[in-house]
Amino acid sequence: MTLAKWIAAACLLLLSTLASATEKVVVLSSYPQEVITPFEAAFEQAYPQYRLEILWRQSRDAMTYLHLPHSPVDVYWTPAQRNFAVLAKEGAFRKLDIDLSGLPKRIGGFQISDPDGFYVASETAGYGMAYHPAELQRLGLPVPTDWKSLTAPAFSGHVVLPIPSKVGYAPMLVDTLLQGYGWEQGWSVLEQVAANATLADAGATFISDDVGSGRIAVGMTMDFFARSAIANGKPLRFTYPEKVGYSPAHVGIFRESTNLDGARAFASFVLSDQGQKLLFHPDIRKLPVRPVVYAGKPKDYFDPFASAQRATYDYDVSYGLMRQELVGALFDALITRQHETLKTMWTAIHQAELKAHNDPRLMEARTHANWLPVSATQVNDASLQQTFIKRDNQTATLEQQWDAEISKHYAQATQLAQAILGAKP
Amino acid sequence: MKRWNAGLSNNVDVGANLFARASNCVRMNSHLHEPQFRVLGFLLFALILARPALADESSVTTDNATREAYTQPISSLPESDRPQFYKGRGLVRQVWVIPPSENREIAGLGPLYNRFYCIACHGGNGRGFAPASAQEPMRTMLVRLSIPGTDEHGGPKPHPAYGGQLNESGVPGVPGEGRAEVRYTERTIKLNGGEQLTLRKPDITFVDLAYGAFPPDMLTSPRIAPPIYGLGLLQAVPETDIVALVDAPKPKGIKGKANRVWDAEQQKTVLGRFGWKANQPNLRQQIAGAYVGDMGITSPLFPDENCTDAQDACKHSLSAGNPELTKAQLDASEFYHFALAAPRQRSVDDKQVKHGAVLFKQAQCGACHVTQLKTGEFAALPALSHQTIHPYTDLLLHDMGEALADHRPDYLATGREWRTPPLWGIGLAQKVEPRAGFLHDGRARSLLEAVLWHDGEAAQAAKAVKAMSAADRQSLIGFLESL
Repeated sequence: MTLAKWIAAACLLLLSTLASATEKVVVLSSYPQEVITPFEAAFEQAYPQYRLEILWRQSRDAMTYLHLPHSPVDVYWTPAQRNFAVLAKEGAFRKLDIDLSGLPKRIGGFQISDPDGFYVASETAGYGMAYHPAELQRLGLPVPTDWKSLTAPAFSGHVVLPIPSKVGYAPMLVDTLLQGYGWEQGWSVLEQVAANATLADAGATFISDDVGSGRIAVGMTMDFFARSAIANGKPLRFTYPEKVGYSPAHVGIFRESTNLDGARAFASFVLSDQGQKLLFHPDIRKLPVRPVVYAGKPKDYFDPFASAQRATYDYDVSYGLMRQELVGALFDALITRQHETLKTMWTAIHQAELKAHNDPRLMEARTHANWLPVSATQVNDASLQQTFIKRDNQTATLEQQWDAEISKHYAQATQLAQAILGAKP
Repeated sequence: MKRWNAGLSNNVDVGANLFARASNCVRMNSHLHEPQFRVLGFLLFALILARPALADESSVTTDNATREAYTQPISSLPESDRPQFYKGRGLVRQVWVIPPSENREIAGLGPLYNRFYCIACHGGNGRGFAPASAQEPMRTMLVRLSIPGTDEHGGPKPHPAYGGQLNESGVPGVPGEGRAEVRYTERTIKLNGGEQLTLRKPDITFVDLAYGAFPPDMLTSPRIAPPIYGLGLLQAVPETDIVALVDAPKPKGIKGKANRVWDAEQQKTVLGRFGWKANQPNLRQQIAGAYVGDMGITSPLFPDENCTDAQDACKHSLSAGNPELTKAQLDASEFYHFALAAPRQRSVDDKQVKHGAVLFKQAQCGACHVTQLKTGEFAALPALSHQTIHPYTDLLLHDMGEALADHRPDYLATGREWRTPPLWGIGLAQKVEPRAGFLHDGRARSLLEAVLWHDGEAAQAAKAVKAMSAADRQSLIGFLESL
């Protein structure tokens, strides 16, 4: 063989090696398998030159990981709105230089994408109530139409409510009530629902296990948990409250991405018609953020853009994100750690209302029952928020103070209500 | 007949013996096509199938025939055991994290791994599939590796640099071992009645090998992920019953061999009953083996990371704990597998399904895919004890011929031998995972393709199916789809 032939053969070998090589696109995500698997397969089919490598991290862990030096990540794609906000503020993302036409930044009053364009919503989910129709019928209970429906004493023992400090999606669910009804009324609704409820510390499973089996009639949850359970045969239905709150997921490209073309390809794919339609998959059932794809939606699929034309809901995302830990800690103090007391107290108050709704002691009882250790103004205090983000000795001291005061107020409320009922305090 | 009955006395009930008699009767006449024999055979089997045997197992099977069919607990699972079941389910669905991580309880992925959660391969607790082409990665499949010889316990001898399995991925800083690409050679076969079917034979090549070229005598065996339901019931079948099936009389040419494998916990050689070659003794070891082999997660049973001496970066990579999967987590994973119900047969009264069941027996499929077994005492989950079950397996190894051979011995299993896979629930495989494949390497895209690949001890069965009328073949497949 001549030298020229050797060189030609070597070039051919190199070319074939290059042709067969695939480039990694490293994507950080906390999505479950049900979401990752179809996106992974469809992306690699659409872009065979890339191989997707998912680095999986829960939201808090993801931030720790991303702050390590040389984190080899190209794309962040996950439902973790605050992480995106913090990372954008830190300058971790590059401005998205991909085609974003046809992707609204808001659903009604809900802002879903970064106004500065560093990250965009890739899907969203709505909060509402999953219910077991046969169980509701058996109990003679109406289908709830709003969160407030679940405060009725008749729902006692038949509701499940996720704990925001334990369940990833619950902080925003709770905050949509607090912003929607207002701080004081929102807590009052939450406490009364909680008095009727079992508290859940695992996010997805209580819908298919507890509500799906009819053990509990109604669950406060996100639409896709219920919709995918329904698509997979559970005898459930799902209803949204009067005004719908949303929890979007996002996609952003890191400034230090080492495979920018691959990162753009993945982000573009996620936002494309094809990527958005994958959200209709029975195991996913998330809400696309590209309105045009709803033209091909499965039967009875919720269209948030159409819904937003009927009812608007102004929700300040930045408010919600900044006070997330503080609200979670308040929930644990007011509800989780007082759950049995709360049940006794609200049962007594409701019974007292039936017996003597004009009794002046009722208003006093309600005042104690609705007492809050943090006011609507204080909750937006940055230093107080930081105390609960960092969690130190001061946090523990504050929580002990709250516990003592809440216990005192709940005891007084219970005593007043029981006095009206003629029971011994 | 006496010997047949004696051989099965511990594991088949009266109905099964009646079935055995009927089976022999039809088998003896299977070369004949006289209508009277066919009618007699049909009547006998119809009688057997009509008996209420399936009602026995309703407490350990599920009637759920949706995409969630394989995720259901046995209905007799005590309420007090549900938290442990849910905990195990959470682990099977858990995406694992590369250390270091704040989430210690789910950290430990790698240093080398194939996938980062169990159901990435066992989607919906079902089976995996083979890539459609060389361009598609192995997402629900892996390749076992070894070199000629055996390890100290008689199992496959791992390659000194690559170990016993190709791990395509590595944590940052640890090179993945390489990639396996699948290409197919297709051939079209003609069946009685003119029906044509294309079969594809996979050929695996390895690229981007990071730890040196494979030696010429490297032994490789591609495997799709098997389904994970009903396994507790199979573990509950007494060893003596399975061993008895070895000596049970069978049609000419069909044998059946029990594998004997190393039990890492008991530190001794025992019966193998799980895995494509029955190379795992029990679910606990199968699960712990998958954690360390497929995901690089150590456990009390396999406390060492999956790095070979030749893999420096791997050896120096961070470990999330010692072990990473705690005993409590392994217990929960094992319990979850114990408690997963097998789907119950559907459409049992359908005429075509009934006819298909008769054909299944006539074609001698039931000689290896044994219809009925009985569980013994099972202390780990007493609800599984003393159940009559219909898994359609003998849990034994059989020579399946050259075309399916991987030429990679695994304990007593030769390169041509594979364990009879259970057929219960198989009709729902593609409902749970639309791309689910069949046979060890997922080459078969349909049940009929899988049947037609049978050879070796099952050659006569495959031949019988080829010779069936198109309508009969449809009935046979209809029966399999009802399982």
